[in-house]
Amino acid sequence: MAITRITTANAIADSSVQNVKMSNIVQSKNILINGDMSIAQRGTSSSSNTTGGYVTCDRWLADIDTQGTWTLSQSTDVPTGQGFANSFKYDCTTADASPAAGDKINLQQRLEGQMLQYLKKGTSSAESTTLSFWVKSNKTGTYICELQDLDNTRQISKSYTISSANTWEKKTITFAGDTTGAFGNDNARSLDVIWYLGAGSNLTSGTLNTSWNSVTAANRAVGQVNLADSTSNEWYVTGVQLEAGTTASEFEFLPYDVNLQRCQRYYYKRLSENAYGPGSQGMQIGSSNVMIQGYHPVVMRSAPSMSGSNWSIEYSGSSAAWSMGSTRTSTTAWSSENSLSGTDGNAAILYANNNTAADITGDSEL
Amino acid sequence: MITSVEKQYDRFGFCSYRIIKNNVEWSVPLEEANTDYQAIQEWIADGGTVIDNGA
Repeated sequence: MAITRITTANAIADSSVQNVKMSNIVQSKNILINGDMSIAQRGTSSSSNTTGGYVTCDRWLADIDTQGTWTLSQSTDVPTGQGFANSFKYDCTTADASPAAGDKINLQQRLEGQMLQYLKKGTSSAESTTLSFWVKSNKTGTYICELQDLDNTRQISKSYTISSANTWEKKTITFAGDTTGAFGNDNARSLDVIWYLGAGSNLTSGTLNTSWNSVTAANRAVGQVNLADSTSNEWYVTGVQLEAGTTASEFEFLPYDVNLQRCQRYYYKRLSENAYGPGSQGMQIGSSNVMIQGYHPVVMRSAPSMSGSNWSIEYSGSSAAWSMGSTRTSTTAWSSENSLSGTDGNAAILYANNNTAADITGDSEL
Repeated sequence: MITSVEKQYDRFGFCSYRIIKNNVEWSVPLEEANTDYQAIQEWIADGGTVIDNGA
């Protein structure tokens, strides 16, 4: 029986465990988060992207460097009968058939080193990892996946082939363990998992590096087709899983709420949902400042950047529009001090300014 | 992309940066692990001017 959801591994008989066997930890076998693309707190579609960023499905960074213009979206086009509801879609809206040397397009997920210690990287017992995913594109040919170790400036690339146009195909790639260079045991970015969709000669002019080595840029994406060469081009991916071992197990479907909470460690957007819905509370501090405090929905990776819009504040018998002021944040909570005059000690209440999408947003992405 | 950086103060002193990134206003903690904080340091190193209106 395969592990199909987060569980306490040491409470399960060894015979139940296919690939991952660990002691005294709660662990999902999928190293990647939101592999089924079901969480998209930032929105379901973003157009006119020439520089990319985190714009739609949570945890997935579209890294675009002046190679075409793209609409990025959470799509409902999925492989039939596999249980997926969403995929991540790249849709080329302005082509770039001749990319400059430094151009690139890729999709990636960045991972904390403290999440990866059980891979034993940098030791003689380093674990292999296996990447599996469903992919579909009208553009057939060779594509490149890469693991990049940010702590030790090392990388490994492997190619896969999209054989049939406009057909969902499942791909499996195994990467050898790396006996050189340990991941830092902290909350910093240690490993990038990258799907190239196009790259200029800076990343393609050498020989594809298929074993762990120090980074040579020219060897990272050799042979990669150019998905940006036509506005007819689209690329979809879902069911993405990276796991310890040399075989790909069935995709680990997590309950929606568990998946959301894993994403919220890196980004959350809390909406009012009601036109005058609740925001948070605080009080007048002295005669000229109001402090509002709140808690993040989960413990975040690091103290996050904070944003808030479309709120009103009621304080000392007055009301005003409110946005995030001078903040102090931790991994668990935030406070904002705003210049508002009133009576020391009076309560203050934050509520939506006739807007169902008033938001408090925290961002500690990698 | 960051287009503006301003120091923010509270009763206890300099506490955060207010930035405009991709047309959205953010308050960024003085936390080295925060990637916006890292981007601010790069923005400053590249010659960006931080607005400082004091406490």
